[in-house]
Amino acid sequence: MPYRLRRLFKSKKQQAPSSADQKEKTPLGTSLKDNLKEFKKRTGNSSDVVIRTLTTGGMQWEAAIVYIDGIVDNTSIDEFLLEPLLQLEVPTTPVLQQDIPDYISEQVIALGGIESVLDWETLFEAVTIGRTILFIDGAAKALSTSTIGGERRAVEEPPTEISIRGPREGFTESIRTNTAMVRRRIKNPNLRVKTMKIGRQTKTNVEIMYLEGIADEKVVEEVRRRLKQMDMGSILDSGYIEELIEDQPSSPFPTIHFTERPDSAAGNILEGRVAVFVDGSPFILHMPAVFIQFFQSVDDYYSRSYIASSLRMLRIMVFLISLYAPATYVAATTFHQEMIPTQLLIVLSAQREAVPFPALIEAFIMEMTFEVLREAGIRMPKAVGQTVSIVGALVIGQAAVQAGIVSPAMVIIVAITAIASFTTPSYSMAIAARLIRFFLMVIAATFGFYGLILSFIMMTAHLCSLRSFGVPYMAPLAPFVPADFHDSIIRLPWWKAKERPRLISGQNNVRQGDDLKPEAPGTQSIRKQRKNTGDLNED
Amino acid sequence: MKIKLYCLTSALVGIILLSGCWSNQELPDLALVSAIGIDLEKDGRYTFTVQVINPGNVAGEGMQGTGGSESPPVSTYTESGWNLTEINRKLSKKVSRHIYFAHTNLVVISEKLAQEEGIMPVLDVLERDHEFRSSAQIVISHQSDAEDIMKTLSSIDKVPANKIINTMKSTEKVWGEHVSVSVRELIAKLVSPGEAPVVTTFHTIENQGETLQSIQRTNPDGRLEAAGLAIFKKGKMVDMTTGEISKGIVWLLNKVKNTAVSVQWEGEKHAAVFDLIRQQTKVSADVEKGGTVRMKVNVAAEGNVSEVQHPINLASPQALNKMEQRVEETIKQSIMHAVDKAQELETDILGFGEAVHREDPEKWKKWEDEWEESYFPEVQVDVSADVFIRRTGLRDEPFHRYLTK
Repeated sequence: MPYRLRRLFKSKKQQAPSSADQKEKTPLGTSLKDNLKEFKKRTGNSSDVVIRTLTTGGMQWEAAIVYIDGIVDNTSIDEFLLEPLLQLEVPTTPVLQQDIPDYISEQVIALGGIESVLDWETLFEAVTIGRTILFIDGAAKALSTSTIGGERRAVEEPPTEISIRGPREGFTESIRTNTAMVRRRIKNPNLRVKTMKIGRQTKTNVEIMYLEGIADEKVVEEVRRRLKQMDMGSILDSGYIEELIEDQPSSPFPTIHFTERPDSAAGNILEGRVAVFVDGSPFILHMPAVFIQFFQSVDDYYSRSYIASSLRMLRIMVFLISLYAPATYVAATTFHQEMIPTQLLIVLSAQREAVPFPALIEAFIMEMTFEVLREAGIRMPKAVGQTVSIVGALVIGQAAVQAGIVSPAMVIIVAITAIASFTTPSYSMAIAARLIRFFLMVIAATFGFYGLILSFIMMTAHLCSLRSFGVPYMAPLAPFVPADFHDSIIRLPWWKAKERPRLISGQNNVRQGDDLKPEAPGTQSIRKQRKNTGDLNED
Repeated sequence: MKIKLYCLTSALVGIILLSGCWSNQELPDLALVSAIGIDLEKDGRYTFTVQVINPGNVAGEGMQGTGGSESPPVSTYTESGWNLTEINRKLSKKVSRHIYFAHTNLVVISEKLAQEEGIMPVLDVLERDHEFRSSAQIVISHQSDAEDIMKTLSSIDKVPANKIINTMKSTEKVWGEHVSVSVRELIAKLVSPGEAPVVTTFHTIENQGETLQSIQRTNPDGRLEAAGLAIFKKGKMVDMTTGEISKGIVWLLNKVKNTAVSVQWEGEKHAAVFDLIRQQTKVSADVEKGGTVRMKVNVAAEGNVSEVQHPINLASPQALNKMEQRVEETIKQSIMHAVDKAQELETDILGFGEAVHREDPEKWKKWEDEWEESYFPEVQVDVSADVFIRRTGLRDEPFHRYLTK
């Protein structure tokens, strides 16, 4: 607890409220003609802006609907807005000129979300997200109807987080689809969604989602505060938000976790984390994040706990390999030949005999080649992707060795490192290791194992000093929280995981009942039980 | 804050760039020494031979650029001088690389040096040097110079040093006439007043195993072969034992793991063979009030009958009992031979002194200085053996029992 409090109260300087909010709002006019003229002027006659004039109420009221084509749902405009308007008869009781909008919204339009708009600023906010505006002649009030739609990518399997056993759906670019996917998993009225619009130009919808009563209120407040003081020009992806709200921007290690999977997002929200959805990005952020979280994959929770635990430990070990393998090789072959078993040393020495470069340069050449290949593999069009693997296999695998530029042992080291770096489930953590590896190689070539140990100590100290929204980054290992250990480098079975992580969910720790461990009763007692009681969760 | 950061960064960059790769050495800059040999010249100078591994020829198969067996797996370089450090420095005249001792696993000392000057003077540098490992094994060359041992090639193990070490360890384990001793153990035994070392000796024939042609034969002339046990007294080699006496010594040192013991039966000397599978030898001292020391040696051995050449009915317990007694006799006899030899040479290679030390530390303090000359030769030794035949192989009675009927 004290960690979080200290950190949170040390709030940054409060920025002056942005000038955009302070701007005076221009009210709408009463004349339809003037309003439409003004609208055209303000949109600069953009070709995707559709204006359709019509008369309604038995040919007596002049009206117009405006919307931006492509981001609206044409069917609902046609069926639920245009059709009722065009078929509207003269009202039986006379309606005052200024009350027409209310009359229409209450009696005519068959759409869910209708709001009255009184000024141009609100109007443009509405129209740019795909709402349709209805102007009526004679009223200084327009109606904004919810017709948001348009082409969106369908829900697909998330390409960056593959799971063997688990849901196949992934987030899309549509924020509403995304929040819905989480809400479908957590059927709890306490699931809160708060919206903010960030970005001077983009006015991006940013929503935070949390479970009231489980999430720490102070963290929720802090997330909201950090989001609010963000006066960005544009937000195109959650990456922008991550960079602007993280605790320690200069650290190579990520302090905010992101995911593309709704089940992972739901799990984190249920543990008491706050999720940030950004419209247009299939990646949602959740915070606070701890180091160990980046090595947990969703599959861990769906597979048996022994297997999940061993795989987690394997990932952590392999992460260390991906950090230290080339550095250790360089240090051992240039400083500590006595540490290599004699037979191995003879083999290594025979291979290095023909190599013209020092071990460090050799390691750099190979690591750089690999990084280039990897980058090319990502950026290349899929159609020519095959070429990369062929060139890569030939260049790294064979030609470099045959040409005598690198030793076969180095190729093995690079290959191990490369494969090891792919096992980290979190891309942002894997990419951090990629960077640190080069730094460690230089240290290894300069100071040997002495330097490696020093750098390890430094890295550990740095990791222990990090905080993510007030939560120590290395929790529950440092500070050691025994109660949270059930889901850290190991995962104990669910019947052992009675509590939520203490440092993350502040007030409400108990997540499930006692004695969940299944115990097989004897055959006789099963028979009895079925007769007498029945299932606990049966309806 | 910013100034602090700049200072820290520049300091770090400075440390890395200015210090450079201090003391680094690339693998191709090293001459890996697998074994060293030390000889004594007539004028009292030492001759120092290093056996340097040619990595390409050892790991050669499958590597391009280096022919597998066109050149020998090791090269030797010899230099002489008054002390080893000087010789090591002088060797740089002949070796193009840094002579690297961290992987030296074998030290060969010539018989002549061990007998005339003793091994003490050369051991100091081996223990003191930071590169050299005191876990290296030590052997004495028998009837040949250490240099010849260094030069002899071997066929299965490409590096001759490995061949010597592996042979020594394997024969210690399965036959039990030799012991493997590391430099560290040797020094520990040399400085202990209640113990004297024994070291395995190795033999080769001069100028016979130096060329690759020699190991291309199925039966090479210059073979590296374990000879016997060199017995040391006050740091000097005084004798070499072989055969039964050696085995007795190894029994007493509790280092026999497997061995074969012939059993005498109805006048036939090698009627059956007892194949030892495990044993435990306990040596304890019993200091009597008058000052006489009695050593109690108890051998508990277990094994199988592995070979029978005489029609013995192994199904009968009496026969097995009798056989067990015969084996006990043989073991006792060989231990007694070893004790007699040690007492005759007045050197406590059997570690009796240490047993007395443990038993009666007070008396030991008085005896310590004259133990080997005055007390050790007078020690009474009681040997008891307890042999158990566990199995008789796949059958009980030998088939020739039916033939004779």
